[in-house]
Parts: sequence; C-alpha cells; structure tokens
Amino acid sequence: MTNTEIPAVRPSRPAPAPATGAGTAPPSARDRGTRLLATLFLAPTVVGIVVFTVVPIVGSIVLSLFHWNVIDSPSWAGAANYREVFTDSTVLVSFRNTLVFMVLAVALQLLVALTLALAVNGRMPVWLRSVFRSAFFFPLVLSAASISVVMKYLFNQDFGVVNWALGLIGIAPVPWLTSENSAMAAVILVYVWQQFGFSFLLFVGGLNNIPKEIHEAASLDGATGLRKHLHVTLPLLSPTLLVATVVGVINALQVFEQPYVLTDGGPGDSTRTVVMVIYESAFEQLRFGEASAVGVLLFVLIMAVTALQFRLSRRFVHYQ
Amino acid sequence: MTDSHVTRRTLLRYGAYGAGAAALAGTAASWDRLTGADIPGRDDGSLVVATLGPAYGPEAIRTLTEGFKKVHPDIKLRINAVQATDWSDFFAKILTQIAAGTAPDLVYVATEGVQLFAQRLGVALDKWVQRDAAELREYFADVHPSLVESMMYEGSLYQLPVEFNAADMYLNSQVLKRAGAGFPAADWTRDDFTELLRDMKKSSGSQFTPYFWTNRLWGGVVPWLFANGTNLLAESKAPGGAWLWDGFYPSAERRGRGGGFRWTTPQATDARVEESYDYLASLIQEDLCTRPEGGNGQNLIGVFSTGRVGVTPAGGFWAGGLHLAGMRPGSFDVQYFPRWRTQRMQFGAAGYALLRTSKMQDEAWEFIKFAARRDTLMRLFETNQTTPARRSMLTADRYREMGPRHWQVFYDTLDKFPDTGPIPAPPQVAEVEQVLLKHTGTALSSRRSVGPALRRMQSDLEKAMEREV
Repeated sequence: MTNTEIPAVRPSRPAPAPATGAGTAPPSARDRGTRLLATLFLAPTVVGIVVFTVVPIVGSIVLSLFHWNVIDSPSWAGAANYREVFTDSTVLVSFRNTLVFMVLAVALQLLVALTLALAVNGRMPVWLRSVFRSAFFFPLVLSAASISVVMKYLFNQDFGVVNWALGLIGIAPVPWLTSENSAMAAVILVYVWQQFGFSFLLFVGGLNNIPKEIHEAASLDGATGLRKHLHVTLPLLSPTLLVATVVGVINALQVFEQPYVLTDGGPGDSTRTVVMVIYESAFEQLRFGEASAVGVLLFVLIMAVTALQFRLSRRFVHYQ
Repeated sequence: MTDSHVTRRTLLRYGAYGAGAAALAGTAASWDRLTGADIPGRDDGSLVVATLGPAYGPEAIRTLTEGFKKVHPDIKLRINAVQATDWSDFFAKILTQIAAGTAPDLVYVATEGVQLFAQRLGVALDKWVQRDAAELREYFADVHPSLVESMMYEGSLYQLPVEFNAADMYLNSQVLKRAGAGFPAADWTRDDFTELLRDMKKSSGSQFTPYFWTNRLWGGVVPWLFANGTNLLAESKAPGGAWLWDGFYPSAERRGRGGGFRWTTPQATDARVEESYDYLASLIQEDLCTRPEGGNGQNLIGVFSTGRVGVTPAGGFWAGGLHLAGMRPGSFDVQYFPRWRTQRMQFGAAGYALLRTSKMQDEAWEFIKFAARRDTLMRLFETNQTTPARRSMLTADRYREMGPRHWQVFYDTLDKFPDTGPIPAPPQVAEVEQVLLKHTGTALSSRRSVGPALRRMQSDLEKAMEREV
C-alpha cells in the first residue's frame, strides 16, 4: 500500500483500549453484538479452512508416522517412512525434477507473461487489448488434464502435428515426449502455455497502476525503451512480480497433471514429480504412510521456498 | 419524534442471523444429497456390484439389473459403474471406497488384480462351486481351463471368467496390399514378422509406422518375452486345484493344471529377456515401430484405421472398436502372435470377485453365476467389445458384419496353444507394472541402454517383490 492511499477500513470511533486484565471495563452490549456478528461472518471461512486444510495437514503428518495399506489397520512406523523416503532414489529424483521444473517453468512463465503484458499495454486499440487479454487468459480456465491429452497427440513423435509441421520445413521428427533430453522441456512448454495467463493479468493490472508521470519524467531525463523498463517499470512492478513469483512457485512445486498425462513420469524417471510420487505411492502401491511422508516433506519445501522469497523481497521489492 | 429507521448495524445483524438460518435450513433440506443417501439402492440392503465404468454403459447396466431381477426378484441389485482410465486406476478407486467404509459386495476384476484381491480382499468360491457343481458343469465345459486357472490363487478359485483378450496380431489389409505381402501363415516366425515390417516401411511414406505397441503389462514387451520362452518374473504353479480339475475337466484338459500361477523371482537380467529387448530396440532403430512412450491405446484405432500403422497387438475387443471406427470387415484381419522360440501367447481375463466384507455372500454368488450365464453374456457382449470366455459364443454369425475374417484366432489362441498364459500379475502388480514401464522406456532408447536398464529393472523388481502389499 502506498502512503497516499486511504486505509481500507476507517474506524468510525476510537478503537477500544487494549485489555490489560484487571481494571478494564467489560465490553458493552454493542461491542459484544459486533463481535458476535464478526464471528458469524467469519465462521464459514474458518470452518472451511480448519476442515479442508488444517485437519488434512495434521492427518497427513500423523499418517506419515504409520504404515497403512487401506486394507489392514495402520501400524506404528515412527520415522521408518521418512528413512524409506530418503533412501528411495525415485523420490530423490522426483524432488530434483520438481525443483528443476519450478525454476525453469516459473522463469519462463514470468518472462512470457511480462513481455506480453508490456506489449499489450503499449499503443494498441482498446478492443484489440481486450481480445489479447481474453486469448491469453483462456488456457487457464481449461482443464489441465484435457489440455495435456490434446498436447500428447500434438507432440506424438510418429503421428503428431508438431513433427508433421517441422517435416514440412525439412526438420527431422523430434522425440518430444520419448527422449530424456526433451521430455521435461515439452512438459514445461505445455505447463507455461496454460499458466502464463494468470501472471499476464497480474502484470497488466500492475502496469496500469504505474503513474504515467513517472514514465514521462524518465523520458525527459533521456531514458529510452529498455532502460526505462529496467529502471522504472520493473522496480515499480516488483510487488506484482513478488505475488506472481510466489503463486507461480507454489503451483509449480505441486505440478501433477501435465507430466502424469504427457509422459507418465518417463522416460525413466526424467519427468516424475513429487506429487506424482505421492499419488503412485498412495493410490497405486497402497503405501499411504510413505506417501504422506513425501507430502509432509513437500509441504516443508513449499513453506521454506515461500519464506525465502518473502525474505528476499525485502531487498528487491519497492512499494513506492 | 422517534427515529423509525433501522440502523445499518441492526440490518447487518439480522441479515447475518437470516443468512445463518437459511444456511442451516438449506443444509438440513439437502442433507440426503450431501451424504449421498439419496442415491438409489444406497444403504437399502442392495447387493452392490462395482464395474469398470467405460466398459459398462447404461445399456449393459440395464441388461444386468433387469436380467438379474427376472431370475432373483428377491435380491435388490445396484451396479456401481466406477469411471477409471485403466485397471490400476479402477482398483485404486475401489480401495478408496473400501477405506471409506462403502465397500461393494462384488468387484469386476481383471487378471491384473486377481491375486491382489484374492490375497487381501477376496473370498474363495470353492464351497459354492462344489455345492452347485451340477449347475456349473455346462459353464466349465464351455470355458477353456487356462482362463479358469488364471482366476485361481493358491489352490482356490476366486472368480468365474466371463471375458478375456489374448494378445494376437491385427493387420491392416490395405497396408498388406500396398506392401505386396500376403496374409501371414499361422506359424509365421519372428523373422517373417520383421521382413513384413520392412516391406511395409518400404512401400509407405515417412508418416507411416509399421508396428505400433503399447507399453504396459498386456500387449507390450511381455508377449515378446512369452514368445521367447521367458517371463519378467519366474513363473510356476501353486499346488492344489484338483478338486476343480477332476470335477469339471476331462483328463486331457487338466494335465499340467495346478492351483493357480505363482510369479516370484524377478528375472529381468535373464539372457532371453535381454534378447527380447534387444530385438525391440533394433525395430525402433530401424524405424519399424513406435517408441514405447509413443504408443498408447487412445490414438491407436485412429492411426490403424487410416493406414498409418500396419500391425499392432490387440485382442478380440478390437474387432468392435475398429468397426465403430468405420473399418469394413475385409479391411483388417487378425493372426496369432509370431513364433520365436515358442508360440506361447499372453492373455488377460476378467470376472467378478466377492469381497470378504460383503454381508450378502450367498446373494453375491447368485449374481456371479448369473453373470457367467450364456444368455447374459450374449446380451452383454453384442458389440464384440471383448472376447467372451465361453467358446460357444464365438461363431461366424458374431463376426460376419464386423470382421475379422480369421475370428477363430481369438479362441484358438487358447485351444491350439494350451500353454498360453496370463500376464504376470502377483499381488504387487501395481509396482511391478510401474517398474516395467519406467525401465522399458530407458532400455529402448538405444541398443546400448538395454543391459544397464534391465539391471536397474531387476533391482527395482526385487525391491517391489520383497514388499508386502
């Protein structure tokens, strides 16, 4: 929030003095009514968060300490599931793949989204701007699984349209999804194509919030296109960049549909991600304890990466 | 003068009370929907049968429910068609239902899950089969013993097979003609097969792939392992089963039968396994077949029916599929899998498994018998979406309109090659299949990759087989 903004909530009267225990006046009937009202409004959301987020997280942590195959009763495992996870090469590879995927996919997604946002924000008729906004956002509202099924056809080495088109210009068929060298790249391309619309919209909103006067002043000082963007636009867009990066990273660390449908984690383990391992361990191999342990580790990883981002944001994000 | 205006705060308060009351009333009114209590047949004492959704459309469900009602009006039946992409996905959903305390009484289970269900969840049918032997004699006389044996586990029978599919070879007639090749002989060899692929490749454009296969337990690498006289896991027979063979099959047909298959020690580094992988890698290098990850059933019918693929392994289910895709009876045909060291072929079968948690086991047995009846299967398998387990149902009439010309191949795969067997599916099948898929992909990236990938496969298979499910 800039210092020129009006606070979103204006107290209509002085706030009550903080309670210090002895000697404080009991809340009036009006205050009690207000609190009750606030509680009533907040209750559905709080209940939803507790039931659908907190309870499953606690449940997963508890389950990660047991062996459970759905059929028999759970048996105590202690740290055995974690030991198993840390010695399982497939799990370790999946963490590495997920981190590689996160770095490349988020970087590409932000780059594409920012470039297109700057282009669309330039001199362009309003109607055309709307067309582009809708077109870029459209893939995001489609089902990732459906998109991946279609993309699997397009990228098929032997019968896919992509290789057919490349053949027209004399390029030999590329084993998009069947080579360890290109499968991850293909998965990232599909993922970015679907996801960049969200960052794009954030950037368009952020760019619209940058006062024109600042750009005009920069122009008067002799700043030209690229320099203006580097030294004016990007610093002023940094809060938006932070949001886009945090959301992008959290989503990328949980990627599942695209690699699952496109490559099923292959060739070998080259595109197997952490969430795929969780799904396979739990629902295919009936090892719910180990799957929960992997889930807990992923939760810790996401928390750590997000905390690191906010820590770094103190240095790189400018709010005015 | 008093102010009769309602304050904003009061309005909000009563609004909140109203909204809360409305939410509570709405929840109460829709409680049955929220808890699933309004689903017909739920918690009303119905016999619940879980089937694989994509294979059981509304018509099939109607056939089963109405047919069963005529025979057993006293038993309420509910068919729960579970939507799933494949058998492992289907089993995962069934296990989730079991974990949630809403286990069905019966589950439609294919070879992939027979031993998992038998070991952990199923009830042996032995006592009922022996009790109703007179009634079942006609059924067993009509069903090949290999199919029945594939449904046995450690001496007991867990399912009555109602359908199966063997991995035979489908050929596109138009592609054969283009290559100037004739329809292969029943005893064709692996070398004949390779030559045919080369002829097809020579006579077609760059957008053509002679051989298309899917990377999975059924119809992928495993049929080649069978043809080469080996298997992914050491195969043996459990003792027992004499009670069934002696009671229902003549001596010639019960020779060598046991109490079901055992798949134990992994043998991915066996010389013949490596040789089979080498062969497939050479086909890929010669551009005669698809890479394993490229092959999947979703687009196979399309590319085969349009002549962009010449040969692919499939079962009787494909006859119906190709007909639906618009192929005429003469435009495709089917032959046995080619001979290598042997001509042993691979099949997968399916039937209904009775769960231990069922409180209606006698009623469930009545449904199992009903589902295996000839008249039931005739109505259920009208469109050739599978190969019926009953030999008598495979007639010229059935395949006249759809093809293929050599339809006898479907059942003769069992009759003429009695050692034809089920896919290797121990209780740890999910992990075994995942290991197979993963390492097959890397093994076939080049001929040099075969050895190292198979060594890794062996190590992973050993780990998988050590684990208790």
